[in-house]
Amino acid sequence: MRPEDIVFATVMLPLLGAALAFCAKLLPKGRVASVVEYTGALVGLGLPPLVLILLFPVVFSGQSVSGVVGQWFVGIGITFRFDALAWLVNILGFTIGTAAWVYSLGAGPKGPAFTGVFLIQTAALCATIMTTDLFNLFVCLEIMGITSYVLIPTSRKAGATLASFSYLMVSASAMVFFLLGTYGFYRLTGALSYEGISNGLQAISSSDTVLSIVSLALLVSAIAIRVAVMPLYGWLPDAHALAPHAVSAVLSGVLIKTPLFALSRILFLFPAGMQVGELMGIAGGVTAVLGVVIALSQEDAKRLLAYHSISQIGYVVAAWGMAISIGVDSPAGTSLMVAAFLHAFYHALFKGLLFLSIGTTVDVAKERNVYILRDSIGKLRAAGERIPVTFMCFVIGALAISATPPLNGFVSKTAITYAMKGSLHYYLLSAAAVGTVASFIKLSRIYWPTGKRGRLHPELGVLPGSSANPQTKAYGLVARLTAQSVLAVLCIAGGLAAPHILTIIGTLMSRGGTNIAVPPILYSTDNLLKTGVTTLGGILLFFVATSKIGSRVLHTIRTRPRSFQGLFVSFSLGTAVLAAFLVVGKI
Amino acid sequence: MVERALLLCLLLIGFWGVVAKKNIIKKIFGLNILNAAAVMLFILEGNRIGSEAPILESGLAQVVDPIPQALMLTAIVIGVCVTALALALAVHLYQITGSFDIETIRERIQDET
Repeated sequence: MRPEDIVFATVMLPLLGAALAFCAKLLPKGRVASVVEYTGALVGLGLPPLVLILLFPVVFSGQSVSGVVGQWFVGIGITFRFDALAWLVNILGFTIGTAAWVYSLGAGPKGPAFTGVFLIQTAALCATIMTTDLFNLFVCLEIMGITSYVLIPTSRKAGATLASFSYLMVSASAMVFFLLGTYGFYRLTGALSYEGISNGLQAISSSDTVLSIVSLALLVSAIAIRVAVMPLYGWLPDAHALAPHAVSAVLSGVLIKTPLFALSRILFLFPAGMQVGELMGIAGGVTAVLGVVIALSQEDAKRLLAYHSISQIGYVVAAWGMAISIGVDSPAGTSLMVAAFLHAFYHALFKGLLFLSIGTTVDVAKERNVYILRDSIGKLRAAGERIPVTFMCFVIGALAISATPPLNGFVSKTAITYAMKGSLHYYLLSAAAVGTVASFIKLSRIYWPTGKRGRLHPELGVLPGSSANPQTKAYGLVARLTAQSVLAVLCIAGGLAAPHILTIIGTLMSRGGTNIAVPPILYSTDNLLKTGVTTLGGILLFFVATSKIGSRVLHTIRTRPRSFQGLFVSFSLGTAVLAAFLVVGKI
Repeated sequence: MVERALLLCLLLIGFWGVVAKKNIIKKIFGLNILNAAAVMLFILEGNRIGSEAPILESGLAQVVDPIPQALMLTAIVIGVCVTALALALAVHLYQITGSFDIETIRERIQDET
């Protein structure tokens, strides 16, 4: 079997699965419909990983599968490229996607329509990372966007509809500007494939340079909205906090990272790409710090997690931007890129785990306020969970995000800071790490026992499928706990098997080993000492934050004015700053 | 040149509608105007090398560049999908809050939670 023949299966199989799911929607509800729907999910989420296994030898040897869709002529057809980057992002997408879908069987939203839209989103992810055609990227991003606007309000919360509407308006407007950027490049070079544009740009006159820079700025800011890097993050907290738990896990695990890695394909080739990387790297570092400060001030458990997604994507963007600004072909650049991907992947695992376990907890307790909710272990037990699996999952996730060895978060954060030692980013990210520890101590209070004085909650929710609720089928609870446990095991395994994983990703990213990335030394005294200091700093910060003055400051941050217009103002300003930065750099 | 200036005006009107109008239906109008401006800009670009419709018949020489037209067909379809979805969300918001005003909607939803 030639790799060219199967490479599209990663996109087509989820689409086929979606078609099956929609067929199931046409059938009358019952056993047949369920079988068709689950077959669709199996085809869409279960088979593509097998295809990826078949493709592994190809990408591991540094080759890539590229060509034109449908055997059209080069210059007319849509070009694509399936390489190590695409393979890695696919693995990320299918791992989290499968776990989230299994969780949704227990927690909702259920039904063939949800499965269908979810699978279309998965297909769009795979297509986004494979394409090397500017207009095709626009289409893929729009499909990804449209499916998220549909999935966010399925939680049936009023706020979720508003969040989805705001996201739709800001993102759809930004995509019009993306289209204008595409127009600029087409006008200058007459090409749409990245390679064609990059070749064409070498021949343009200096008077056209400004147009090419403005076009690039428009493309980058439209994508930066999806990535939710500061200052374009405004849509994310509400959308991620109010979406169904399974959708939240995918949104913050996969959907904010795929556009970032797809953008790197453009920046590798275009002349001003390095400068874009430089500016975005700084924005990423700032995002990491500001995100965690706002997270620390939140009272809604899921919104706290949502702000942490912003903060953690800041880590990824900082490393990614620095890698591009120093050139990914240098060993240092490759190390940074490896670290960026590793953190993106590991963040997806532990943040997915946190969203799911906190989701189960708040469903049971029917309370999301971190300041009110206490003794969740007892509540979960009362709801029918005999072994505190959810609590253990939360602890693993919280320790992983706080970078505690030997969990995966320690590995990826160490890999990032190791590669950028001494730079501005390094200090920003170290500060963010302290805030992360503090805010997870704050979040973990929802599990603290309250003793006898604790309030009793007679109106507790009951987990569907548990022994306390015999009417519902048993698979609900099993599905939830399976998804959580699998992610928890992956978090631990990702930490323990770190040396092997780093070697594999390093080889993949260095395109066949021409410029092997230097693997970081993980368990050196320095790193362990730094972890200890960070943890102590976090505990200290937690006490400062709970003091009277601290609470007042956090209250001010939490209740800062946020408006619909603000989303657009920050988009316009962000684009203007980026364009100005690039123009100044050129002259 | 005058066409481009007019399209810029259209673009700015659309953007202003999305940002400044309080009524969410008018915001959706704004989004459509914004989209239309981008579509027409592409069509204008294809017009630079010829003006005949790109349907290949004998005796046609000066056809427009067909690629922008093909692209915009896709962009229009996507625009329609997004508009339909935005309207569905607007109706849902109206059912929940009884208002199309973005500020009122935000206040009423915050009061609920």
